[in-house]
Amino acid sequence: MSRRVVVTGMGIYSPLGTNISDLRDNLFNGVSAIKPQTYEYRDSEFSITTPAAAIEDKDDILKTLGRDVQRGDLYAQFAVAAADQAIKDSGLDFTKGANSDANSALGKRTATIIGSGIGGQHTSDVTQYNMLVKKRRPHPLSILRIIPNAAASHVSIRYGLTGPSFAIASACASAAHSIGMCAELIRTGMADVGIAGAGEKVLSYGALEAWKAMHILADEQCRPFAKDRNGLVIGEGAGILVLEDYDHARARGASIHGELIGFGMNADGNDMINPSLEGGVGAMEMALRDVTIKDASKLYINAHGTGTLLNDPTETKAIKTVFDYEAERLIVSSTKSMHGHLLGAAGAIEAIASILALQNNIVPPTINLHHPDPDCDLNYAAHDAVERPLDVALSNSFAFGGQNAVLAFGKV
Amino acid sequence: MADMEKAILEIVKSHAVGLVGDVTRDTLIADLGIDSFSVVEIIYEIEEKLNVEVPFNANENPFGDMNKVGDLLDALDGLIKTK
Repeated sequence: MSRRVVVTGMGIYSPLGTNISDLRDNLFNGVSAIKPQTYEYRDSEFSITTPAAAIEDKDDILKTLGRDVQRGDLYAQFAVAAADQAIKDSGLDFTKGANSDANSALGKRTATIIGSGIGGQHTSDVTQYNMLVKKRRPHPLSILRIIPNAAASHVSIRYGLTGPSFAIASACASAAHSIGMCAELIRTGMADVGIAGAGEKVLSYGALEAWKAMHILADEQCRPFAKDRNGLVIGEGAGILVLEDYDHARARGASIHGELIGFGMNADGNDMINPSLEGGVGAMEMALRDVTIKDASKLYINAHGTGTLLNDPTETKAIKTVFDYEAERLIVSSTKSMHGHLLGAAGAIEAIASILALQNNIVPPTINLHHPDPDCDLNYAAHDAVERPLDVALSNSFAFGGQNAVLAFGKV
Repeated sequence: MADMEKAILEIVKSHAVGLVGDVTRDTLIADLGIDSFSVVEIIYEIEEKLNVEVPFNANENPFGDMNKVGDLLDALDGLIKTK
């Protein structure tokens, strides 16, 4: 059994917009959400200031999520905020009710696959600090906040979704793996609908000190593919897609944003930090195995493009290996230059950016690319969005630990 | 005990999202509208307030066969006296 899988809902809670319309405008206008931010424990000497892409005015939406969700870690709250939008956008009605057999049946056929790179890092940090420094007992709900499947659980409980549900943790590829695996559940008939994506919230003192120790954070801006790039900038947020069997979506007259036409995943099997050329090549080729690229100029690649020294030239070389002489005709960009690296949730916001590019025939730019690197020699849509007809969009996610996931989207 | 009782009633009330009106000794526990999360939170907050450890298992109903909020207050009073 192999069914077509389409996207019928999108939701975002990110530094570059907490609704799809704002995200689209900011992506296409090259707006940056990155600026210096300070994270500290109140009344303590523990403080760190670093460039970050933070969501400002979080409370506006989060305070409306209700008591059950607000007791969760922020990473789960972000995911629920995005899921609410995506489900509303899809037009599906999961309203719980004893006399609603139809909704209950739909809930049983709906998978909830929501990942996270780390899960409740923020709660974990604060709990350790309070316990070890302030000598206070951990809050009894700490575990339920920290576990990385909490976001998937909150969404399944909120909507009464009783199909397959779990979290995928593959660092920066968590969201892409979640979306890809959820689509496979639909393709193989284990579900008709899927709520898929990821949430991440590691902008807290303890986590940032740990990231800083890795010497991989940029000192000012994220500059993917630029000669003066010097690291990634951490962001936060969540992105959720509603995936659906094509016939199911057609039968109910759903509005379709795009089709997930391919999914590739593999492991470098090589190194915890350094990405391999073969891994990226293999994952992209697997995502494209059922896809015919008729005109390379109509292909957009939303790159992993972290702005780290090693990722960008390796990814460039991987794209050139996969597409050979056609590589110079396709167009690439790294939207991380604007929304930062959402880590586990990166693949979700970038899948949405890829779909928005297809829907509008506009490629979001790579900003901060003022000094090209000779080892990064593709068309990266530097500075400004590029209008051009598009057929296919690839979204690359390559994780620390060498786990790769690539999503391919097409128009319906 | 009067002050303590008032404080505990405040804790219970802050979690009784299903209840209309005040929480008193005669309020039925079943009417509080509390879920498994709230039970754990109520016990934690009471433990912090009274500086006692309430023996219970989160997989069981810690209110046992208690019927009214007054039963809970009496049980806590017993815990404090045996401390």
